[in-house]
Amino acid sequence: MLKVRSIHTYYGAVHVLKAASIHVGPGEVVAVIGANGAGKTTLLKSIAGTLFPASGRIDFEGTEVAGLFPEHRLGLGLALCPEGRRLFGGLSVEKNLLLGAFHRKDKDGVRQDLETLRQRFPILDSFWNRPARNLSGGEQQMVALARALMSRPRLLLLDEPSLGLSPLLAKDILKTIRDLNREDNLSVLLVEQNARAALRIAHRGYVLETGRIILEGSGSELLAHEEVQRAYLGKAYKEIWER
Amino acid sequence: MAAYILHLAILGGMYVLLAASLNIPVGLSGQVSLGHGAFFGIGAYISGLLAIHYAVLPFPLLLVLAGLGSAAVAVLLSPPALKLKDEYLAVVTLGFGLIFELGLKNLAFTGGTDGLYGLPNFGMQGADFLWWVWGAVALCLFVTSRLRKGQFGRNLTAIKESERTARTLGIAPLPLKVGCFALSALFAGIAGSLYAHYITFINPGVFGLHTSILLLCMVVLGGMGTVLGPLAGGILLFLLPELLQEFADYQDLVYGGLLIVILIFRPQGLLGRAPGQGRRRFPLRRRTQPAPASTSNA
Amino acid sequence: MIWQQIVNGIVAGSAYALVALGYSLIYGVLGLINLAQGEIYMAGAFGLWIAAAVLGLPLPLAVLFGLLFSAVVGLSMERVVFRPLTGRHPLIPLLAAIGLSIFLQSVALLAFGPETRPFPLEFEPQLWNLGPVTLSTLQLLLVTTALALMGGLFWYVHASRHGQALQAVAMDREAARLVGIKPHQCVAQAFGIGGMLSGAAGMMMAAYYNATYPYMGVLPGLKGFCAAVLGGAGSIPGAILGGLILGLSENLGAAYIHSGFKDGYAFAILIAILLLRPQGLLGKSK
Repeated sequence: MLKVRSIHTYYGAVHVLKAASIHVGPGEVVAVIGANGAGKTTLLKSIAGTLFPASGRIDFEGTEVAGLFPEHRLGLGLALCPEGRRLFGGLSVEKNLLLGAFHRKDKDGVRQDLETLRQRFPILDSFWNRPARNLSGGEQQMVALARALMSRPRLLLLDEPSLGLSPLLAKDILKTIRDLNREDNLSVLLVEQNARAALRIAHRGYVLETGRIILEGSGSELLAHEEVQRAYLGKAYKEIWER
Repeated sequence: MAAYILHLAILGGMYVLLAASLNIPVGLSGQVSLGHGAFFGIGAYISGLLAIHYAVLPFPLLLVLAGLGSAAVAVLLSPPALKLKDEYLAVVTLGFGLIFELGLKNLAFTGGTDGLYGLPNFGMQGADFLWWVWGAVALCLFVTSRLRKGQFGRNLTAIKESERTARTLGIAPLPLKVGCFALSALFAGIAGSLYAHYITFINPGVFGLHTSILLLCMVVLGGMGTVLGPLAGGILLFLLPELLQEFADYQDLVYGGLLIVILIFRPQGLLGRAPGQGRRRFPLRRRTQPAPASTSNA
Repeated sequence: MIWQQIVNGIVAGSAYALVALGYSLIYGVLGLINLAQGEIYMAGAFGLWIAAAVLGLPLPLAVLFGLLFSAVVGLSMERVVFRPLTGRHPLIPLLAAIGLSIFLQSVALLAFGPETRPFPLEFEPQLWNLGPVTLSTLQLLLVTTALALMGGLFWYVHASRHGQALQAVAMDREAARLVGIKPHQCVAQAFGIGGMLSGAAGMMMAAYYNATYPYMGVLPGLKGFCAAVLGGAGSIPGAILGGLILGLSENLGAAYIHSGFKDGYAFAILIAILLLRPQGLLGKSK
């Protein structure tokens, strides 16, 4: 479904992504984990269109998207839920969601989806007409997620959904994502610092380190992998020290 | 003919002086002032009124008082305004200029719309004025160049880039900005006095918005923040209408169009450096060891 | 006497409000102060003059022509001058707007000459005496038109898809792109609509003062900006409130304090507001 082939992306003069290649199959949840500064957000931004790779190819369902602006990628079924939520604070929750469906022409479908999401996320209902900036972090994340879903994406890109959330809320959000994948067959590409939680819900995962993909495997494989455990899961330090 | 050229040289020199003085806040510290004509006017009227009421005062004293008076106004009025963002500062200075102009027209002692006339020229000839004007220009350019290179200049650049960061380094922006304005008002006031006694009559029209905009065009055209920029911009924009007398109606068209074109295609002006092409003042130090490559991340 | 001044203030204030709306729309979307807004006001008046005096169109068509003409001027400004300057230091578009301002004044001067033209259409305003006040149908017409335009703008911003997109871009440009909004289109819309509003104000005042001339936009443009800041830059209700307050202050000040200073009151208010409450009356403090 999504094939990222060997892209190099620069942030100004800094070479952030070096020959990064990943792919996401239909119906999969794929997680990309790595430390701060490894390039996870850059990777997602390159796929979403907020940044442009200097070389390489990004293939989404047969279309080369690497050069398209983000507003053009939406029509193809690619939606990004950005880091830090980025809601339209002064607008109500309802209006935020409606804007999520901005590019869609089917008014009835939009109305239907709005209702569906309202049912699915009852939290949103209580804030339906209140300005989005009045919501807490976890609630805002829900709104951001719902807004991205309003565009009926086929692949959902999530940039650090658990950022700034308490562990309980983080688990909640990730569980919601997993449910969305299972129930609606929504493909998800997830970038996360919380490696354990992300790998738990993912079918497959990648480890990104200083701009390179260094590991690839299924969710459970990576969880059990020694390197991953040492570097990202905080295990096995004792053994290293004693070596 | 020679007298005409002399006249151009004197008047042109005054505009260069004004542009050079405006360059200090606009070019060095990024503060847009659309009311510079007012400082020009303050100096002119101070000098003119003092000359009328206290005829004993010698010219050099009037010159100094005009400059200091103008600077004093700047110091008094600018602090609250300089806390505002660029766009707002620009309009506040514009408003100040307008209020000044209205004040001149409506108050009795400034002579109203007719202004002051019959001002003494202290027996000075054209050539004398030439020395005074260009002497002042030289002084102003010298001051600008010293400011640019010294600690003051570096602090100003820091403020221009990011005020917040500059603060964390212990640089207090407000006194520096006020200082810039005071200096620019000083030289503008001096220009005002020179103008008053050369032309021997002054009225509100010359010190209004149109002049302020013209001066700004000169600074931008020449290159904001460069030392000689105001010289180039001032001479060019001053001579243009003089040489193209028949095209006097097209003046504003040219000024406006030129300003737009320069800002789009060459914002650094005639003498400025293109962004990204500065001379490296501090050459990059070569690394003696390659940066360590580690796979473990804290 | 005071009631008459209040009526005058409301009429003038409606015009200022429309110009202020133009500023606020553009500032909200782009963060730019378009100091050439006053020239669009002037363009509207001349547009109507061309339609009525040169093309001989009747009033409704002439007004329409004037509105379209203003919109086109606004859109051209955006396309030719401001779009190439996106992303630069904020000082640069500001200076460009100033240059644009004097450029357009000069164009009008060369095209139409400096003389003041009367309003090109004849009408017989009826006068009504309501107690201490004399109202003319012209005043009522103008204020009603202004209100209608403001109402239209409200509808547009709050109820229409494009208006919502405009708000979104004003709040978070990048997030807006992520939901499929093209910011350039919203910017163009702001200029077009803001231009129409300013042009409408120009036409209104051309009728009210029976005068159309190249420099007619200079002071109203600046005062419109003062009104926008007074109400809160970027705020639509703020622009309207600011315009009304400004119009009233001006007229009352000229009548009771000093008439020669009339044009200065707007700026005095501006300076006061920026010193005391820089975010304006209805703006949000950061």
